[in-house]
Amino acid sequence: MSRHRGFQIVTVVLALLSIAEILYFWLMPSVEPWLPPEGGHPGDQVDWLFRFMASAAALLYTFVVGYIIYFVIAFRRRRSDPPDALGANIHDNPKLEAAWTIVPTLFVVLLSILSIKIWYVLQVQPANGLVVESIGRQWYFTFRYPDVNGEITSEMHLPVNVPVTLNMTSGDVIHSFWVPDMRLKADMIPGMINTIRFTPTRIGRYQIICTEFCGTGHSTMDKQVMVVEPVAQYEAWYHLWQARNAHAGNGIPTVSSGAISLVGGYAGAGKALFSQKCSACHALAPFGQRIVGPGLLGVLHDPAHPDLVDGAPATPADVAKILQSGYTGSYGHMPDQAENGLSNKDIANLVAYLNTLRLK
Amino acid sequence: MSVIAEHGGIAEHIHPEPQGFIRKYIFSLDHKIIGIQYIITAFVFFVLAGCLAEIIRIQLMHANGGFITPDTYDEVYSIHGSAMVWLVIIPMLTGGFGNLVMPVQIGARDVAFPWLNMISFWIFPISGLMLFSSFLMGAPVAGWTEYPPMSLQGAAGTSMWCAAIFLVGVSSTLTGMNFLVTMLKMRAPGMTYTRMPLFCWGQFATAPLLMIATTALAAALAALFMERQFGVPFYDPTKGGSPVLWQHMFWFYSHPAVYIMILPAFGIMSEVIPVFSRKPIFGYRLIAFSSAAIALAGFMVWAHHMFTSGIAPYMQLPFMVITFIIAVPTGVKIFSWIATMWEGKIHLTSAMLFAIGFLVLFTFGGISGVFLAAIPFDLHVHGTYFIPAHIHFVLVGGSLMGIFAGFYYWFPKMTGRAMSEFWGRVHFVLFMIGFLGTFLPMHWLGAEGMPRRVATYDPQFQGINQFESIFSFIMTLAILIFFINALYSIRNGKKVGHNPWGARTLEWQIPSPMPYYNFKHVPSVFGLPYDFTEPLPYAHLEEELTDAPVPVGSH
Repeated sequence: MSRHRGFQIVTVVLALLSIAEILYFWLMPSVEPWLPPEGGHPGDQVDWLFRFMASAAALLYTFVVGYIIYFVIAFRRRRSDPPDALGANIHDNPKLEAAWTIVPTLFVVLLSILSIKIWYVLQVQPANGLVVESIGRQWYFTFRYPDVNGEITSEMHLPVNVPVTLNMTSGDVIHSFWVPDMRLKADMIPGMINTIRFTPTRIGRYQIICTEFCGTGHSTMDKQVMVVEPVAQYEAWYHLWQARNAHAGNGIPTVSSGAISLVGGYAGAGKALFSQKCSACHALAPFGQRIVGPGLLGVLHDPAHPDLVDGAPATPADVAKILQSGYTGSYGHMPDQAENGLSNKDIANLVAYLNTLRLK
Repeated sequence: MSVIAEHGGIAEHIHPEPQGFIRKYIFSLDHKIIGIQYIITAFVFFVLAGCLAEIIRIQLMHANGGFITPDTYDEVYSIHGSAMVWLVIIPMLTGGFGNLVMPVQIGARDVAFPWLNMISFWIFPISGLMLFSSFLMGAPVAGWTEYPPMSLQGAAGTSMWCAAIFLVGVSSTLTGMNFLVTMLKMRAPGMTYTRMPLFCWGQFATAPLLMIATTALAAALAALFMERQFGVPFYDPTKGGSPVLWQHMFWFYSHPAVYIMILPAFGIMSEVIPVFSRKPIFGYRLIAFSSAAIALAGFMVWAHHMFTSGIAPYMQLPFMVITFIIAVPTGVKIFSWIATMWEGKIHLTSAMLFAIGFLVLFTFGGISGVFLAAIPFDLHVHGTYFIPAHIHFVLVGGSLMGIFAGFYYWFPKMTGRAMSEFWGRVHFVLFMIGFLGTFLPMHWLGAEGMPRRVATYDPQFQGINQFESIFSFIMTLAILIFFINALYSIRNGKKVGHNPWGARTLEWQIPSPMPYYNFKHVPSVFGLPYDFTEPLPYAHLEEELTDAPVPVGSH
């Protein structure tokens, strides 16, 4: 067997390498080099499955690539070989073939059992906690809470360590709701309700990302966050929205009819608001540079565009009207006050800020 | 005049070879010419779709994009994906290499229906032009999958896309039927199923997929077209349609389609690896059987693309488990190819290098496929950059590496000349470096939180995207070298005779380029084409070739 001495050495080296890789995947304190930090249950179960699959994959791939490299070096045709030299006349080896059919089959059975086990954990998450709805729209998410009228369009707040049932659908095309830190995702499909259940366990602000292409603004549909906070803070936030939306209809946006007072608008506050609420869709650039909506640099002072997109003249009052009542037309869809969650004071601040912007 | 060929007492008519340029090279009925037409046309579309890929990489150099608008970007990646799948990989591997090699390997003089073959080919460039012309009227934006209701809102070019893909599907279906009948009815005497070369087994497993799966896609596309043009509500939920219906129909085709794109490449591996290892293929029967098993199981896994779409929870499980099971026959093939190299005399020609590259990259793509099949992990990475990473590992690292291996391998059969081995190696090294740098980090991007199909992205990922873009330019350089090498070698390559690699399948036992009607005498077959120590298992071949000593590539 000295002929195969090299093969034996390589096998031992690959085995040691595989063991090191497996130990790495099991003993690394967190999966963070490979996945974002984990924010809740059952995301921790997914991480466990990742460790298992990564270990098995490392073992298999180390041996496959290791043997390929070794065979290419050890069994290459050498210059000393006659030009018509042939390899060994081996056709098959039934035992070996049986082994590499049966062993992977057994592994597949094991992997199926483990995956189904974790899949089952995902199915039986407690449904008795908080029930929240999320609706995907081009190109933002809205959230509905029990006993809060209307849709909340800014952030989604959740109390820590409370089970959540999140029902979701879409108002237009298919979107997908993904919070990487929670390891969970479901498509938002018009006419269907999909549900995910989880328990956030770590306080923090987590990006909500749309992962199903949904049109021009799809790339910008990652600006909203899921805020996980202590129960007391959550309740304060919840009561604030309950009060704020007290007069909004049941899920149907209502708009106050009167014009908004712009007196006392503060441009500094408007600037901060703009980067939070507007910059996903509007650039601080001339009209022609659209992200989703037109650029807003100099919207009130652009001689090339004396009118707004709705045809009204570009005055502070008319800008406020669009912020209040929204716009739907050939330039796309701009959310109204019920959707965009801006208070009258916010609108006054924003208009004051927009008024300071001049084309260069 | 007509030549009468004798074989086993049956006289067969051979029609004279057409002499005019148009009948010989344009509207040819000869499977070899049609195969080369497919390969050239597919490479033209490969260049176009490759340029689109570089536009994508340039846009992603910056987190804020800025090279093109988001709308144009959406059009670019949609056409890139559609063209690479339907106009490059499928036609190249089935219509291209299938036509060029399969009939000769089974000892036939042509495919069963040469006229149909010509029609199949001519539908293909026309539908390709239609697909690219959709840019003129606003190309589709919703990716190669075109999920409604997004695709219902797409510009007029989306309807053109439907028509183009429908037509190229007709071409695929006809080719599948043609190949299936050819392999069922036209094998030479003695060419039993257990003596068929494994490339033909790859085609044999692919042909039913082409015939059966493509019809489901045709139905889905026809419905989408009718809904867009005439308002017939199939998919629009506001009119009682179901967007998920499209997903089922689309993936009922498109999952088997990934096996359409890989089984012929598996076949190329099974030819290239034994020839350049100078050793019989290891485990012929298990490799042949596993092709059939993959083709069959490939029909039962489509909903693993839809784990986030909200299909009934218990319905997800069989799709997950069957997808896991497909890893077994795929693994068997990979182990068998590696075992073929054991104790071989490996010639590291360009074709063999690409075969080895295939093993390294495709195995990785197969493993990430198992990750994706596991529902809990799929819920995390579905719709992220993990998916483009996986699909490029299996379609570029798998199918395209197979195409390159097959092209270097059969180039002497097409032209009578070999390509430059030196530049072939440069191509291989640069391509591997470029490929790994471009696509390996995408797995991490996806798992960390970068969604796919975005024109702008979170600035924390900008560094890695720039890294990928730079490596994609290296890949482009490698492909440029490949094309220059191929074009130069057509006229100036080294003349290498009819069997430069010492291969034993039938196509290498006739002159290069292959003569009209392939065989003066239809050969009789006595054994497998992989027993390198035995005399050739054929009778009735032209004598001057069978009696010549088998030369071996001296590289």
